[in-house]
Amino acid sequence: MAKEQQTTGGASASPVSLRLEVKNLSKSYGSVHAVKDVSFDALPGEVVALVGENGAGKSTVSKILAGAAQRGTGQIFVQGEEFNPGSVGDSRKVGVSCAFQELSLIPGLTVGENLELVDKSPIGIFSQSKASSASARTLEKFEVDHISPDSAVSSLSLADRQIVEIVRAFIGSPNILILDEASSALTPPGVGWLFARIREFTATGGTVIYVSHRMSELEEIADRVIVMRDGTHVGEFRKGDWGRDQLVSLMAGREASSQFPETTELRKISEPILKVKNLRSDRISGIDLEVFPGEIVGIGGLAGNGQSELLSALFGARHAKADEWTLDGRKINKMNPRLAVELGLGFVPEDRKLQGLALSLGVGENLIFPWQKIFGLGGKPVINNQKTWLGDVINALSVKTRGASEPAGALSGGNQQKLVFGRWIDRNRKLLLLHDPTRGVDVGAKQDLYASILRLSDAGIAVVWLSTEVEEIVNVCHRALVMYNGEIVSSLRGEQLTADGVVGAAMGGN
Amino acid sequence: METIKTGLFSAVTRLRAEGATAPVLAFLVFFSLYVVVNPEILTRFQLQNAANLVVPLAFAAIAQMIVVIVGGIDISIGAIMSLCNVSFALMMINLSPAIAIPATLLIGVAAGLFNGLLVAYLRLPAIAVTLASFFIIGALTRELMDRPGGGISFEFFLATSGELLPFVPVSFFWLSLFAVALWFVLQKTRFGRHVYAVGSNPEGLEAAGVHSRATIVMAFMLSGLTVSIGAIMLAGSTLTGDPRSGDAYLLNSIAAVALAGVSFAGGRGSILGAILAAFTLGLIGNFLYFAGINASWQYIIAALILLSVVAIPAIVERVRKAYRESK
Repeated sequence: MAKEQQTTGGASASPVSLRLEVKNLSKSYGSVHAVKDVSFDALPGEVVALVGENGAGKSTVSKILAGAAQRGTGQIFVQGEEFNPGSVGDSRKVGVSCAFQELSLIPGLTVGENLELVDKSPIGIFSQSKASSASARTLEKFEVDHISPDSAVSSLSLADRQIVEIVRAFIGSPNILILDEASSALTPPGVGWLFARIREFTATGGTVIYVSHRMSELEEIADRVIVMRDGTHVGEFRKGDWGRDQLVSLMAGREASSQFPETTELRKISEPILKVKNLRSDRISGIDLEVFPGEIVGIGGLAGNGQSELLSALFGARHAKADEWTLDGRKINKMNPRLAVELGLGFVPEDRKLQGLALSLGVGENLIFPWQKIFGLGGKPVINNQKTWLGDVINALSVKTRGASEPAGALSGGNQQKLVFGRWIDRNRKLLLLHDPTRGVDVGAKQDLYASILRLSDAGIAVVWLSTEVEEIVNVCHRALVMYNGEIVSSLRGEQLTADGVVGAAMGGN
Repeated sequence: METIKTGLFSAVTRLRAEGATAPVLAFLVFFSLYVVVNPEILTRFQLQNAANLVVPLAFAAIAQMIVVIVGGIDISIGAIMSLCNVSFALMMINLSPAIAIPATLLIGVAAGLFNGLLVAYLRLPAIAVTLASFFIIGALTRELMDRPGGGISFEFFLATSGELLPFVPVSFFWLSLFAVALWFVLQKTRFGRHVYAVGSNPEGLEAAGVHSRATIVMAFMLSGLTVSIGAIMLAGSTLTGDPRSGDAYLLNSIAAVALAGVSFAGGRGSILGAILAAFTLGLIGNFLYFAGINASWQYIIAALILLSVVAIPAIVERVRKAYRESK
C-alpha cells in the first residue's frame, strides 16, 4: 500500500524553530510492531493531532514522548536537542508533559495532593492546608473551581478526574503538551473548556500533540492531522485540507476484503431468538435489540463506548434491567450466567487468560468447563467420556495441541482463543456472544474462526459479535450495530454496511 | 467548643478513611472486657507488665504496616527483630548505649535497605525477597549468639520498661514519641504522601514525575528502623538478647496489620490503628489467663477477633451497598 503523503507540515521551516521532531521512531512489544518508522514534527504554537483506529500506535507514540515507555529505534528532538527520557519525570523536566489516556491520578489521595506532589522531590515538609489552598488557586486559574481540592480523587466523577489529569499536565509550564484521548470522558461543555485552555496555551507558543477519535474536535482544534494505521504514518493533512470521509477511509484501510469467506444469505425467520427493549445498566442505556436465528450481528464502535458492557449484560454477568427481555420465547426478569447457559447462550469473554481459561489445567478440562456438574467426577474419567466431542472440536477448529491433557497455558494465544470459543460448539447453543474472538490471533487461525462462525450461522445459531476490526464486521456480519456513548447509534445492513459507515458512526457523526 | 467539635469530626473522618475505626472500636470493647474480668490490670505493676508485653509488638506492627502501605509484605520482620535484639545485647556488654543504640538502628535500616533495593530496583516480589532475607538474617543471628545472653543493665531496663510517672509506663512514652514522629513523617512530609501514593497507584506516581522506586526503598528502610527500635525495647524489657526473640513477631505483625484495617493492596493504613491492633492481639493471652480459659484457646480467640473485626465492616458495607442499589 502506497503512502498517501498529502503535505509535509513544517518541512519548509528551518530545523531550529521546530519544537518537536520525531525521526523514524519504531517500537515493538514482543513480536508486535506497535510503531513502525514514524516521523513527524511540530512547531511552536501548533496543535498536531494523531488519529487512527484502536491499536494504530497513537498511544504508543504519546507514551514514548511522555517518558512512560521507552523507544525502540529512531530519534526524537525537542528544541533541537536529542531527547531520550527514562521516565515521566525526565520528560517533564525538559517541558514535555502528558495527560494520560488511562487516568494516572492517585485515587487514594486528594485532588490537592495529586496536584501538589507533581515533580517534587520527596525531601520536604508537606502541608495539607497549603497544598489545598495552592491547588485551589490552580483550579481557579484553570476555571474548574467546582472541583474541591480536598475531595479524594476516588470520589470524583470520571469527567472531573480527567479534568484534574489535564490540569496536572499543565502544571510546571510545559512547552509540549500531549493530550492522549484527554477528551474521551468529557461532556461537550468540558470539551469547550479544554479547547479554551489549549488556545491559551498555543497563543503563548505552546505545542500540543492531540490524540482523539472525535472528528468534530479535530476539525475545530487541529492545525495538522497525522493519520496512523497499523503503527505507520499513512497520511498528513493541514487544517481544512481534509474531509471526514477521506480521513476515515485512510484510517480504516481497505485491502483486507479478500481474506473473508462468503457469508451465506440469511433465511427469513420471523421470530427473534433474543429480544430486549430499553436494556440499561452501568454505562449502557436504551438498548433495543432483536437477534434472529442464524444471524450474525456485529457490534462496532470505539473501545469503551459500552460494547463490552452490553455483552456481559446480555449474558447476565453484570446487573441490567430491561422493559422487555425474551430469550428463545422465554421471559427474562433477571439474567444470570447459569440461567444464560441453561437457555442456550454461550459467551466468549474479553480476556481469554483472565476470564476464559484455567491456564494450568488441561485443554480437555478447559473445553468441558461449562458442562461439568459441581458434584460428580472431574478430571480424567470425564475427559475420557467426552473424547469424541473433544476430538471433533479440536479438529473443527484445528487447535494445535499435543492432546487433551496438555495445559492450556502451553498453547499459543490463538489456540487458547479457540478453546474459549470451542467449548460452545455442538452443545445446542442458540446464541453466542463473542467478545472480539479474533484479537491477537494470526491470519490462519482467524480463517478457522470465521469458518466456524459461519457454520454455526448455517446451523441456525445466532451470533452477537463484538469486534474491534471493522473489516470483520463489514465482511462477515449480516448486520452491524454501532455503539457510541453507551447507546446504539446506528444499525447498518446490506449496501449501507461499509467500513466508512461503521467508522463514521463510531466517531459519533452520522 | 465549635472548633473542638470540628476537630473531633475531622479526626473521625480521617480514621474512617484509613480503615481504623474497626480496630479502635475493637480495642475499646476488648479493653473494657479485660478490665471487667481483671480489674487489677489498672494497678501499677500489671499496667507496666502489660505495656512491656505489647510495645515491641506495636513497633513490629507499625513496621509491617509501612511495608504493606507501599504494596509489599515483610516476612523478615521477626528475623530483623532478633538480629537487632541480639546485636544490641552484645554491644551493651562493652559499649555505652550512646553507641549501641545508633549502631542497632543502623542494622535495622541496613536490613530494610537490602529488602527495599531488591524489591524496588530488581522488581522482585516482596514476599520472596523478604523470605530469603528471613533465612539469611536468621542464620546470621544464630552465628552472633546461640543462646540468650548479652549485657543489658538494670538501668537500661528502667529507662525502657520502667515507669515515667506513677501509672505511666515509660515504654508508652517512647512508643508515643515515635508514633507522633512517624505520623509527622507520613502525613506532613512529601515523602510520606509519596509512600501512600506509591501503594495506591505506582504508575500514577511515576506519571506525576516522581521516582517511585526510591520511595519504596526508603519505606523499607523506615520499616527496618521501626523494627530495630522495637528490638531495643524488647531487649530492655527482658534484660537479655535472644536469637529467637523475634520469631513470634512475624505472624503477629501481619495479624495486627490485618486487624488494623490496613489494605493489603497498599495505599492505606493508620498508625493508631496498628498500635491498638497490636495492643489487642498482645493482651489476648493475658486476658484468657485471667478469664480462666485454657491457653490453647488463645489462638482460636485471637483468630475469631481478627475475623470479626475484618468481616463486620465488610458486611456492613455490602448491606449498605445492596440497600442503595435496591432503591
